[in-house]
Formats: sequence, C-alpha cells, structure tokens
Amino acid sequence: MENVLTVRGLKKSYGTQMALAGIDFDVRAGEVFALIGPNGAGKTTTLRIIATLLTSSGGDITFLGRDLRKEPDFVREKISYLPEEAGAYKDMKGLDYLEFMANFYARTPEEEKDFVDRAVAITELGDRLKTKVGTYSKGMTRKLLLARALMTKPVLAILDEPTSGLDVLNALEVREIVRRYVKEGTSVLLSSHNMLEIEFLSDRVALINKGLILDAGTPSELKGKHQASNLEEVFRSSLR
Amino acid sequence: MKRFTNLLKKEIKELVTKQLVISLAFTVILFNFIGQVSKKEVQKATGIQTISALDQDGSPASQALIKGLESARFKILDQSGKTKDEAIETAKAGESKLLLVIPEGFGESLTELKPSEIETYSFMRSFSLIGARGQIVVQSVISALNEALSNNFLSEKLPEHDPASLKRPIKSKDFVVVQDKMAEGSANMVAGMISQQSLLIPVVLMMIVIYSSQMVISAVAMEKQNKTLETLLTVPIRRTSIITAKMLAAGLVGLISAGVYMFAFRGFIGGIGEEAAQAGAQAGAPAIMQKLGLTFSASGYAILGLSIFLAILVALALAMILGVLAEDFRSAQTMIMPLMFMVMIPYFISLFADMNTIALPLKIFILAIPFTHPFLVSQNLYLGNYGMIVAGLAYMLVVFVALVIFAARIFSTDKILTMKLRFGKKKTAAA
Repeated sequence: MENVLTVRGLKKSYGTQMALAGIDFDVRAGEVFALIGPNGAGKTTTLRIIATLLTSSGGDITFLGRDLRKEPDFVREKISYLPEEAGAYKDMKGLDYLEFMANFYARTPEEEKDFVDRAVAITELGDRLKTKVGTYSKGMTRKLLLARALMTKPVLAILDEPTSGLDVLNALEVREIVRRYVKEGTSVLLSSHNMLEIEFLSDRVALINKGLILDAGTPSELKGKHQASNLEEVFRSSLR
Repeated sequence: MKRFTNLLKKEIKELVTKQLVISLAFTVILFNFIGQVSKKEVQKATGIQTISALDQDGSPASQALIKGLESARFKILDQSGKTKDEAIETAKAGESKLLLVIPEGFGESLTELKPSEIETYSFMRSFSLIGARGQIVVQSVISALNEALSNNFLSEKLPEHDPASLKRPIKSKDFVVVQDKMAEGSANMVAGMISQQSLLIPVVLMMIVIYSSQMVISAVAMEKQNKTLETLLTVPIRRTSIITAKMLAAGLVGLISAGVYMFAFRGFIGGIGEEAAQAGAQAGAPAIMQKLGLTFSASGYAILGLSIFLAILVALALAMILGVLAEDFRSAQTMIMPLMFMVMIPYFISLFADMNTIALPLKIFILAIPFTHPFLVSQNLYLGNYGMIVAGLAYMLVVFVALVIFAARIFSTDKILTMKLRFGKKKTAAA
C-alpha cells in the first residue's frame, strides 16, 4: 500500500527540553494509524508538526511525496487537523461555522454545499445547527468539529485525542463516526492514551514514550509479539 | 482572495456585535442629550437674567448704574425701601441670582472723586460655571461704568486731552512673524488658534488607536481562549492573510466607531461649546492666520490624513503582536496599556513642551515613538519643515513594515502557540 505520510528521524526540542528524540513511522493510504502513549510522550507535538503548526528541530517528513517543511501550503490543502482542546466560534451558528470552514477548501459553490451537506450528516445535530455554538454541549461541539475535519474528505485527517473529555455515549458516537467516514479514502493519524479506543479504531499503532517510538504494528501483531491480551499490556511490556 | 474575504467577513461579524452597536447608539444619544441640555442652560445663562437691586442712594449716578444694567439685558427687581437684610432675604427667596446694593453716598463720593463702593451678593444655587456667569456680567457692566465715569471726569477736568491716552499712555502694536510672513496680532492668539485647529488630531488618533488596537488584541486573544487558533492556522490560507484580515477588520470597525464617537462628540461640543467659542474668537483672527500662512491646504490635509493612517497601521501591527502575547481575553485587556502610554506621551509632551527646545535624549526618545509624528505634522506643515514630515512618514512606514514582518514571523513559527507574556514575565510553554 502506498504511503501518504513518511516520517524519518523526527526531532523536536523546546529549548533544552527534548520532546521528540527522532521517531520514524509511515501512514498508508486509507488506514487509521494511531500514536499511543501516556501524557507528555510526544503525541501532540508529533501531530502539531505534521499539521504544520510547529516546526521540527530535525528529521524529514514527506507528505504525498513532497517535503512538508518546504510546502506547508500544499499540505494544508490536503489535511485537516482536530486539536485535542479545539473550540468553535461561540457566536456563530453551527451551520455558519461549517460554511465558514468549507469556504476555505471548496473551489466552487457546489463543492462548498457538498462539504456542508456531508458535515451536517456527520454531526446528526439537525436543527441545533441553526443555533449558536456557544449553546452546545461538549459532545455536540466535538461532533461539529469532527464533522468539520472530515467534511472535505482530506487525504489525511489528524485527530488528537478525538474523544477526550467526552462521556461514554458521546465517545462511542465519535468513534463510530470516525470508522464510518474514514473508509471513503481518508487516511487517519490519531493519538490517544485510551488504548481500548485505539484497538477499536486503528489498523496500525505506534507505542510512543518520552519522545521515542517503542514499537509499531497492527494491534494483533503487537499483542502476539508481547504475548498480551490487550494494548495496555503491550504498552507495559514494551516499557520493560 | 475568496479565502481572505471569507476570513475578513468573519472578523468583521465578530467585531460588530449587538453590544458595540448599542454602545455606539447609546453614546450618540447620551452626548446629544447632554449637549442639548447644556445648550439650554447656556441660553438661560446668557439670556435675560433677573437680579435684585437695592438703591439706598437714589442719586443720578446710582440710577445710571441700574439703567446700564437694564440695557445689558438684566431684569432688575427693585428692592427700594427695604433694609439690606430684608433685601437679601427677599432676593434669596426669589429667582434673583444676584443682589446689588448701592449704599448711601455712592453718588456723592463719585462727584468728590473718591472711590465708591457697591456690594454684590451672589446666590449660588448650583456650583456650575454657567451658574456663576451672572456675576461675571455684572462685573463687566461695572467695569464699563468705571470706564465711562472716569472718562467723564477726565474730560471735565482736562478737556484738551483724550481720556484714553491719559489712562494708557503706552500702547503696544503687536506683530507676529512666521517664517517670512508677518501679520498684526498677538502670539497668544495665534497659538490659541493653532491649538484649536489641531485639537481634533490627538482626540481622533487616541480614539481610533485605542478602539482598533483593543479589537485586534481581543481578536487574537479570543482565538486563543476559545481554542480556535490552532484550527485556523491549519486551514489553507496564508498566515499573512490571517494577520491582514484581523488588522483590516479592526481598522475598519475602529474607524467607523471613532467616526460615530466624533459625531456624538460634535453634538456634545455643539451644545456647550458654540457660545464659548463665539465669545473666545477674536475678530479678524482667521484673516491673520491666512496672512501668516497658518491654514491647511488640501495637500496639507492629505499629508495629515496619511500620517494618522500610518499611525493607525503601526498601532494595529503592534496590537497584533501584543495579542499573541496575551494568554486570554482577560490578559488582553491589560495589553492595551503600553499602547495607550505610547499615544499619551507624545500628546502631553506636544501640549506642554516645545520639541525644538527639549533635551536631545528626551527628543530622541519621543521621536522614536511612532505616534509622535502625527502630532507634529500640523506645526511642521505651518513652519514648512517638510523634511521632518517626510522623515516622520518614512519612519512610521518602516516601523509598520518591520512590525508586520515580525508579526508574520510569529504567526509562521511555533511562537504563535508558545509565546506568552504574563505581566512582564516571559514564559515559553511546551506542547
């Protein structure tokens, strides 16, 4: 399968503090690739670098065969990023927010309408989209933001802790949305410290800790390799 | 362009809130209301006023004094036949603002060329300046009477001399020289006229700078607080377009707001200021200003406008950087302070000091503040210092470009997410 994203020797430091100590991984076309690890492991930093928000201190990133550092504008056209603690403009109505965001990506009014229609379907919020975002619950806002990230059918959707802070039912819905909509050609790079969620969503995972990738593979490969019954045990085993 | 317009529309919509519209409408209504009320008060104060008079002398001189007051648009309530205390009580109970007591022997003293005394009792029912105007007018009537009486005496005793020449043997004829032009008039009056002409510049500048900067700082800080900035930075739009859209929206809304406030301010000043302005204006002043070349031509106004425009751009670029440093909307409120000081320092210095005579280090410091230059444009135009004007405009342009490049660099690097300033303490945050 062709690689959408290739990361080699990626490093990042904040002053003297090393956040990424040189990591390698690939994201293949149409797959869900997950970075799992505890808080402060370097997951968000990795995603932010790939989303063109941060610059790396070393290493190479190739996106669709192009150097990410040299062509950030090209990358931004093809990706979408959902930050962990993202918000939407509170004074905007949900529908206006989707139209506003779709306008950045759509080349024609028809395409913009397609994007918005798709987002409306993803959110399943119905008439609530005609009310201001400021009145939404956390789960509703997250669904709106996820819809925004997936509506343009990006080549790569980068989802940072997509279910963070959500209750069980909302988290389940968000996971179902991701599973349902990414199978239409979008690759997904996501991060989470919820190993069960990762197991449910991902085709392949990389275990990351203290800025280093400890191991990578499909969940079943990793479980077999570490003789573990779930990814939590895999993670504990790889730490040893 | 489509993406930029999309963002610009969103920025404008965010700024033009119901609160802003209500606050602007309220200010216009309030200022006009105060202006109208004040206008009525001024009209009352300058209209026919009622005063009481107790003439204990009854001489032709005392009657002439009262007649003089009547001709100066005073309505006189005669208190004759009463004692002084009774007259005070009656006047106090009535609507009189003032009681004039002409004591016995007033006329006799005048004919004997002795100083004569009259007593005035002002009833202060409010402490407004307008309320005290009655006594000022009475004093001017008395001084006019003094002038007339002394002229009469001098004419009687020294008929061959002009009383005015006797009282003021030395007269001065004042001339003002500006560059190579000269006109008859006083330097005080010219300085007064110039300060009146350029009064609006700092007011307009302060208002626009404060409004627009506050909007830009808040716009960036709100993006951070609402966690929308990260998403915005990953959409396919150039970082410079994000900066430009925010600055342009704030500049436009700031200009409109300042315009509305100025309109309201005019309504307010129009109410209380017209009378004072008319009283203060000296005959022939505009002609003198014209003769001295101290009026703005169309190109002068264009240069002044350009200078103010550049100052606004500098303020917006600076506000953009300050907005990045702000952690949230609340800290953004304090970020406006350095900008306010940068506008206020040159304003007060230009009010109280002469830029040509202040110490060199202070002069360099003040000229280094970009907002100084719009304050200096008008006097440099009057004095023909075009070199200073061009240097000021060029300096502001350089500062603006440098700030925009700096802001764009911040927006293009990690700093947009990691720079924070909390009350002067710089802190870099890791992701």
